[in-house]
Amino acid sequence: MLFMSVGAVWALLFLPPDYQQSFTTRILVIHVAVAGTSLAFFPLMAVAGTITLVWKMKLADMVAKNAAPLGAWFSFVTLATGSLWGSVMWGTWWEWTDARLVSMLFQFFLLLSVIALRSAIEDSEKAAKACALLSIVGCINTVIIKYSVEWWNVLHQPSSPINMSNDSANGPEFWLATGVMIVAVYLFLTVSLILTTRNEILQRERRSQWVKDIVS
Amino acid sequence: MIEDIQFSSFGEFLDMGGYALNVWGVYAIFGFFVAVNLLGPLRRRKKILRELRRRSKLESTES
Repeated sequence: MLFMSVGAVWALLFLPPDYQQSFTTRILVIHVAVAGTSLAFFPLMAVAGTITLVWKMKLADMVAKNAAPLGAWFSFVTLATGSLWGSVMWGTWWEWTDARLVSMLFQFFLLLSVIALRSAIEDSEKAAKACALLSIVGCINTVIIKYSVEWWNVLHQPSSPINMSNDSANGPEFWLATGVMIVAVYLFLTVSLILTTRNEILQRERRSQWVKDIVS
Repeated sequence: MIEDIQFSSFGEFLDMGGYALNVWGVYAIFGFFVAVNLLGPLRRRKKILRELRRRSKLESTES
């Protein structure tokens, strides 16, 4: 059922591309949705981490564990799609002087570090705690990413206020399409995370009766 | 709605005003990313269940 809602929202996305004025706006619909959602990862992992630290709920840790690789994918796709956009709009694939690009790249590396940290620590409880702490600290970078376009003079455009009038650079159809896409991407995040966490539960609980019942 | 389509031909749609590589590149990356992260866990689940099944058979033949 979740699949169908994701699918339906995506099918909608292919209608909006018909409406857009500029060809490259179509890139933006995807990039904006993925980029915006990628910012949710550290906050998500930090919350899950805090629940793990304070209430020691195993499930929270499992979600955090599976969120990290997915977050790395999100960050990578954000950078890759942004790069394809940039090559058209700014004539460059990358800019080291742009704070938003660099902080997003940093987020990518941070997520890889969380993954590495977890496998580096033998004791799973200690690993969970360490990752939780790193996730909480990582949120500082998330804040930087978000405000980088306002605090520094960068190539990346600042967040445009949602403008419904027809004479703005990105018309209402763009915002509609992007809005649909954002919902679709969030649904996708949720589904993917549920699927991977479910696998995790299956493995950790393999000795229990309910898993044995599923298997046989 | 069909009348609002911005492209007069399918060829134009593919071409994306000369930006075909950029636009389709983005969609390809995105499609791949989504497919891997949805199909991946599903395939892994099948693999886990298969593994568990195999192990339980081994255990039941041993006892």
